[in-house]
Amino acid sequence: MRSKSVSTLRRSIALHAVMVPLAIVWLFPIWMMVVFSTMPENAIFSPNIHLIPSDRFWANFNVLQGDTNFLRAIFISVVVALVYTVLSVMLTSMAGWALARYAFIGKGMVLTIILGTLTLPYFVVVIPQFIMVARDFGLANTWFALIVPPLFNSLGVLFMRQSFSMMPADLFDAARVEGVREWRIFLFVAMPLARPTLAALSIILFLASWNNYLWPLLINNRPDMMTAPVALGSLIGLTKVSWGGIMVGAVLLTAPMIAVFILLQRHFIAGIAAGAVK
Amino acid sequence: MRMRTRAAYGFLTPYLLIFAAFWVWPIVYSFYLSFLATRIQPWRFNPGMTWGRLVVDPAFANALKNTLIILVIQVPVMIALATLLAVLLNSQLLRARGIMRFAFFAPVVVGEAAYAAVFRLMFNADFGVVNKLITGIGLPRVDWFASPTAAMALIIMAVTWRWVGYNAIIILSGLQAIPNDVYEAATLDRVSKPRQFFFITLPLLKPIILFCVVLSVIGTMQLFAEPFLITNRGGPGGATETLGLFLYRQGFTVLNFGYASAVAYTIAALAIFISLVNLWIGRSPK
Amino acid sequence: MAGVTLRNVVKRFGSFEVIHGADLEVEDGEFVVFVGPSGCGKSTLLRMIAGLEDISDGEIAIGGTVVNDVEPADRGTAMVFQSYALYPHMTVEKNLSFGLRMNGNDKADTARRVERAAKILRIEELLDRRPGQLSGGQRQRVAIGRAIVRDPEVFLFDEPLSNLDAELRVQMRVEIARLHAELGVTMVYVTHDQVEAMTLADRIVVLRDGRIEQIGRPLDLYDDPANRFVAGFVGSPKMNFMAAEVVGAENGSVTVALTNQGGARLTVPAKNGFAAGDKLTVGLRPEHFGGAGEGDCELSVKVDVAEHLGSTSYVYANTASGEQLVIEREESRSEIGVEHLTVSIPAARTYLFDASGARLR
Repeated sequence: MRSKSVSTLRRSIALHAVMVPLAIVWLFPIWMMVVFSTMPENAIFSPNIHLIPSDRFWANFNVLQGDTNFLRAIFISVVVALVYTVLSVMLTSMAGWALARYAFIGKGMVLTIILGTLTLPYFVVVIPQFIMVARDFGLANTWFALIVPPLFNSLGVLFMRQSFSMMPADLFDAARVEGVREWRIFLFVAMPLARPTLAALSIILFLASWNNYLWPLLINNRPDMMTAPVALGSLIGLTKVSWGGIMVGAVLLTAPMIAVFILLQRHFIAGIAAGAVK
Repeated sequence: MRMRTRAAYGFLTPYLLIFAAFWVWPIVYSFYLSFLATRIQPWRFNPGMTWGRLVVDPAFANALKNTLIILVIQVPVMIALATLLAVLLNSQLLRARGIMRFAFFAPVVVGEAAYAAVFRLMFNADFGVVNKLITGIGLPRVDWFASPTAAMALIIMAVTWRWVGYNAIIILSGLQAIPNDVYEAATLDRVSKPRQFFFITLPLLKPIILFCVVLSVIGTMQLFAEPFLITNRGGPGGATETLGLFLYRQGFTVLNFGYASAVAYTIAALAIFISLVNLWIGRSPK
Repeated sequence: MAGVTLRNVVKRFGSFEVIHGADLEVEDGEFVVFVGPSGCGKSTLLRMIAGLEDISDGEIAIGGTVVNDVEPADRGTAMVFQSYALYPHMTVEKNLSFGLRMNGNDKADTARRVERAAKILRIEELLDRRPGQLSGGQRQRVAIGRAIVRDPEVFLFDEPLSNLDAELRVQMRVEIARLHAELGVTMVYVTHDQVEAMTLADRIVVLRDGRIEQIGRPLDLYDDPANRFVAGFVGSPKMNFMAAEVVGAENGSVTVALTNQGGARLTVPAKNGFAAGDKLTVGLRPEHFGGAGEGDCELSVKVDVAEHLGSTSYVYANTASGEQLVIEREESRSEIGVEHLTVSIPAARTYLFDASGARLR
């Protein structure tokens, strides 16, 4: 008994000797983001090490707001992410429902195409997408360009299909025998039952849209239609710029997602892990 | 029954229209584009200007080399670390598990622009906190953005910091799906803990780890924002220029769509090829 | 009120035929049970009546109207599922009223129907609960209640009791019988449990491999099975089947030797022309064995296991011969531990089957 608890103690010490320093290293950049955002410019670029937040957050914010209209960018990001998430969840859960619960001609082909093209890198489509939206339609710098093209994402289709096909078929047959129309079965029986999956999917989609960088960078170059990551990125390359302000932007970009992560950790982790279940 | 088939098409059509317009069609169109010379109007068929140029373009070769270097170093390091983290995070002995998980999983939600900015400041050669710590313990100062090797190392560190938690989440979920009685049986058979890891845990996790490898390969092949933002457009002097960055330049700075499409298809082919090789190496015996 | 008619009903999945032309006439108000081993097509047939499966060929009529192309909801049927299929996110009351609400039924009428169903099934106090908070038996009641609310002309039950434990199963069986008596509507009931079939049915339909083997009243099937399959399926424990060879045939009777039972000879009344050397099977129900000296043929058997249940005993004997016999005996405590037993076979109680399983009379 004694030797067992001693060896357990030894294992526990070894475990924490590895994990605690690693965790500190991993938390460090996020901590520094907060620290930098509160420091005056001359303290960021000084020979001393500053690891404790200072009090210049609002001052830095005002500088940032002067460099680029960051509040406007945040507003655009919020609207885009919200609308995108709602639309994508609607579209993909309908498609997932059709693929999970009906037999129809062409189903195998649709599934094959979706699965088969899933592994293709986004770069393969980004050029034609750009030509189509920006040149052919002339829709650069519009809400449409930000929201609609990324809706191709098939993650939700596969995710929802899996969720729907795990539900007992009797449930939907029971509703059918009762004369409930198909779209009402979907809306009032299937969707409420898929709530955990919907939550996980929504979080993942919202995050993806919120952090999306390449597409908004390409398609919207007018300052008043930039999303927050693009607005922030546009400052990073400049030589004469307030780094304290950039850090405030980074914090504003990150803090809401961290909050979502902490509050909805379970759904969040389920959403990421589900990718591997397919 | 016929009604129900019609309902199925009804549910499917809206998504399918978007999918066809913004995914299937672009895939086809970009293949077509990759044969066109697009620098002069009108665009005309001339694969020599796209695929032909690819073979001889030293800038492309440089980007390909850089991408493969990152791939070969970063993917194995990150996956090994993610597996280790998953196993340790799953340990019953671990204290403050919530904070530990937060530490490794939080970077997953941090956007590219935000973390690129922090890394640039932290690794600033003169005033960055990293160099201050390094010199503080007596090591020589590293010029992270001027030395090609250091810049490459910086990109690899940044990507690993951002994505290790993501992979650890996936592996952890696989770990938790392994029934506990397997370990109890092994313990009764006097199999030591380290041996349990190598002979039970790893084999059972193999499919999930392979999945993570494939995901990471595809991700690394498309690496763009990190060299774009952290090392300032692939600097120093193209030392961290990746295929993704090269494609961005050709496609959206020079507006040579045909050539960029050929690059895109090369990236896709390489990603698929490397993934298949991985799957082949990791295939189950028999 | 309506009966159900099946005319040469065929079901194919792709090119694979699972129902090979079923004909059946269910009378108005009748309780008909489909019984058969799993995979025999009984559930598929029921789902075709409900409209959940397409009819590949043939016709199904309910109340005289052909319903092949009628939507499930418009067939006047209600179905109770094996899994209960209760909507887990709705209270019992919402579960009961869901179909009516979705179809825009008058609110007051819906409430009245829910109340009536709850009363019939005695689940009034459960109306605010969710399915997750109910026991198996309560869920079953709610599932039946959901069917009652629709006020259907035909009730369809798909193995409704197979998820319940033994005691509840008996209780719910009685409930369903009561319900049938109370509502007086047509009921079609699918089960793999022949005891349920025997106790509930007005008539039983025995299915095997997508074919109807026999239709009849429970005791008719028991007393006069049409073939070896039905003989073996109905009755518990199962009928004994003994391999036999004809050794002599006379006008109106046949004498056989029981090949695996020491060649014991037995003369059975039979019409057909038999020839010496014909291979047959002799069937005898466990309860029809007689004591020594009571029958037409004596068997001395080696007892392998005896189950003593108090009022009766089941003796499992002659396993070593490759043809186990099950013998039901009135409980006699003196027989405990006995290794050998002499029993007799009353010829009048036996059934003869040919090699293909057809009954020989």
